[in-house]
Amino acid sequence: MPLQAYLILAAVLFAIGLFGVFTRRNTVGILLGIELMLNAVNINLVAFARFNGDAAGFIFTVFTICITVAEVAVGLALVILIFRIRRTATADHLDLLRG
Amino acid sequence: MSLEPLAFGGLSVVLVGSALAVVLVKNLFHAVLFLALALTGTAGVFLLLDAEFLAAVQLLLYAGGVVTIVVFAIVVTERLVGDRLGQTSRFIGSGMAVAGAVLVGLLLFIRQEPLAEVRPPLDGDVTRAIGDALLTRYVLPFEVLALLFLVTLLGALYFARPED
Amino acid sequence: MTPVLDAGALALLALLLPAAAFVLLAVAAPVRRAGRVAGYVSILFALGALGAALGAWRATGPADLSLRLWEWLPADGWPVAMVGVLADADSTVMLVLVALVSFLVQVYSLGYLADEPPGGLGRYYTYQSLFAFSMMGLVLAPNFVQLFMCWELVGLCSYLLIGYWYQRPEAARAAVKAFWTTKAGDVGLLIGIVLLWRHTGTFDFLELLQMADGGEIVRDGLGVITFCLYLGAVGKSAQFPLHVWLPDAMEGPTPVSALIHAATMVTAGVYLLVRTAWLFSLTPDVLALVGWVGAFTALLAAVLACVQSDIKRVLAYSTVSQLGYMMAAIGAGFAAVGFLHLLTHGIFKALLFLGAGAVIHAVGTNDIFAMGGLARRMPQTFIVFLVGTLSLAGIPLFAGFFSKEAILGAVWVGGPLLPFVMLVAAAFLTAFYMFRVVFVAFFGAPGAAAAVGGHGTGAGHGPGAGPAHDAPAVMGGPLWVLALAALAIGIGFAVAHPALEFELLGWITPLAVAVAVGGIALAWLTYQRRAIDAEALARAFGPVHRAALARFWLDDLFIAFYRLLVLAVSRPVGWIDRYIVDGILNVLSAWTLSAGDHLRRIQSGQAQDYVYGVALGILLLLVWSQWPR
Repeated sequence: MPLQAYLILAAVLFAIGLFGVFTRRNTVGILLGIELMLNAVNINLVAFARFNGDAAGFIFTVFTICITVAEVAVGLALVILIFRIRRTATADHLDLLRG
Repeated sequence: MSLEPLAFGGLSVVLVGSALAVVLVKNLFHAVLFLALALTGTAGVFLLLDAEFLAAVQLLLYAGGVVTIVVFAIVVTERLVGDRLGQTSRFIGSGMAVAGAVLVGLLLFIRQEPLAEVRPPLDGDVTRAIGDALLTRYVLPFEVLALLFLVTLLGALYFARPED
Repeated sequence: MTPVLDAGALALLALLLPAAAFVLLAVAAPVRRAGRVAGYVSILFALGALGAALGAWRATGPADLSLRLWEWLPADGWPVAMVGVLADADSTVMLVLVALVSFLVQVYSLGYLADEPPGGLGRYYTYQSLFAFSMMGLVLAPNFVQLFMCWELVGLCSYLLIGYWYQRPEAARAAVKAFWTTKAGDVGLLIGIVLLWRHTGTFDFLELLQMADGGEIVRDGLGVITFCLYLGAVGKSAQFPLHVWLPDAMEGPTPVSALIHAATMVTAGVYLLVRTAWLFSLTPDVLALVGWVGAFTALLAAVLACVQSDIKRVLAYSTVSQLGYMMAAIGAGFAAVGFLHLLTHGIFKALLFLGAGAVIHAVGTNDIFAMGGLARRMPQTFIVFLVGTLSLAGIPLFAGFFSKEAILGAVWVGGPLLPFVMLVAAAFLTAFYMFRVVFVAFFGAPGAAAAVGGHGTGAGHGPGAGPAHDAPAVMGGPLWVLALAALAIGIGFAVAHPALEFELLGWITPLAVAVAVGGIALAWLTYQRRAIDAEALARAFGPVHRAALARFWLDDLFIAFYRLLVLAVSRPVGWIDRYIVDGILNVLSAWTLSAGDHLRRIQSGQAQDYVYGVALGILLLLVWSQWPR
């Protein structure tokens, strides 16, 4: 398969993840959307690395996966914290930044 | 080689389908399970790209680690609220429009660029190359990553500590 | 004459001592609030300044010149202006006059303002020191820039001191009026100075004098410049038609009137013209105007003085009249004569004002008809006042005699006939109105106020205990000093006439004396013997009398002018400002507010909405990167 096919697949996944970030009301759901987007990025990185014969892309993928895991851990901790304080997991109710 | 397009097609269907399920199903717990499926599918894509090590990392860290953490989080919050967490969506129209616009933009961008049709032959073992690079050229980021994990661990513990 | 303390250094010392007193009093608030202590400080410095001024005067011969200059306003190539002192014969003798009157007035004020609260007294002496510094700076100015700065400073001091009793609305109004009216002239002066600089490229008196001597000054357009300079003098020296502020300025304390509005500041205009006489002599047209206006002012003010019943206002109009004399002499081309009269007038008019102050202090009113019979109750004051009056009337052996007849002679020689006639008439009226005051206030039946003594109706006029009596020594001393000075000058001039630039015709002196005696006789017949009824006399001059009572409607004219022109301009301007300028701004600000109010809603506070922004940004980048170039 050409490189283009992988990129298209990643773009579709990215768009779906973005859609999830836009529309989900639950903060955990938003996190899931972000995971999908990051996943799409990983596919891109690996595909470019393979097609260009450069190992750096693989290394980057390793790093992004690790950092994503860390991010998820902190993100979920924040979700629980918010839940405790505001008694809600719905992003609509979290509007302290409102102008 | 004739297997590759077939495998790619199958994986694509699984990936897109499970991704759509992640963002559309009502039950949050089911969404997490579909995410696990999507991540596993991504591991398959990595395999197709001759990156066995990354496929393993993907399975271990993502499908194993992330999904476990998320499930834990859901269980904890559901226990706190004493109810099942619903998973509703808002502004589906505008989300779809903007996400679709981004997708169209990306696709147009991809189509425009001249891209490689065939991959070059492998020289040596990818896993070995990753290992070499990690412990030579990228050793410093690797160590910083360890530090990051430590900080994450402490931070997550601090945030999620029991109320006193 | 030691090399260290030559005339310039002494003049500089005289200039800086009052400045030091002012800074001390202005900065050290406890000293100022102590009142009398502030007075002692100021008087001490004024005494030092007087000593230095006398030294500078003695050290300066008729042709000597001493300069002390510092750069000021440095600019590319050469400093735009210098500050410093220019000590020559004219400026040092004027310096002595300023320092002497200033010192005496400050001593006198200790008695006159004894009942003031300490804070007010401290303020008074602070202003006095500032005034002394400013006036000396003006006198010693080596160029037009310093002259103008000090010119404005004395104007400010005049404003502050007229409005010393600022709680009284008349005083506050008079202060503003004085400031305003003189300002009208000052604008002319400033324009004149700038034009002169453009014309010649220098502010410096000595350089200008050299250019004038060398005939390097272009005559074309010089008339406008000297006219503008003259406008400044018109405002400051109360020439027609800007003389209206000086009578009102009498709202200030009497010592202030003596110092600022008789002896020194109001003569600044005359002094300016004396200083720049060589410049004015290049423009005979303007000089003729100076003479005509001066003579007319002299007569007009003399007429006005005849109908006043307020003793200070009589003196104020008399000052205007005498300033007219000086201007007439300058206009005739003999500035030195005008300057001579300036000096003698400074002495005897300060004497008259301080004497009037002593009377007011004793009886508590300004109205001469409420006085009467004071000669017996206040013999010392009567004697010194009489000395001043005789000096002003121009009686031989008194200070004003020689300088006044010299002016008459100068105008006869240098000017047309009509100004001379006006001046002679003014001399007659001068004698008349001054002796009117003397006969009404000091002789005759004791008036109501004189009998009961001062009752403190006028703020600051000390209530005398019992019937009116002579002033205390602290006030009497300065009076005697001035009276003796007036006598000494008069006798000195009678013995040795100062050199004049023209031939004083023999018949001028008898004429001047005869006219003065005639005026005295008329006053005697009218107010002492009552041989002539004052009412009948007034009726004989019906229209003039009525016009004089209304001050020739000049104030009304100015007010009407103000109402008509200024308001006619300022009303539309105000409307434009309020509705168009402000309106545009208000609309703009209202738009900004409402736009902000609407835009505020973008900030929903929900992270997901911000992600839309991120996505749109990505789209924008994509479009931008793919835009066909």
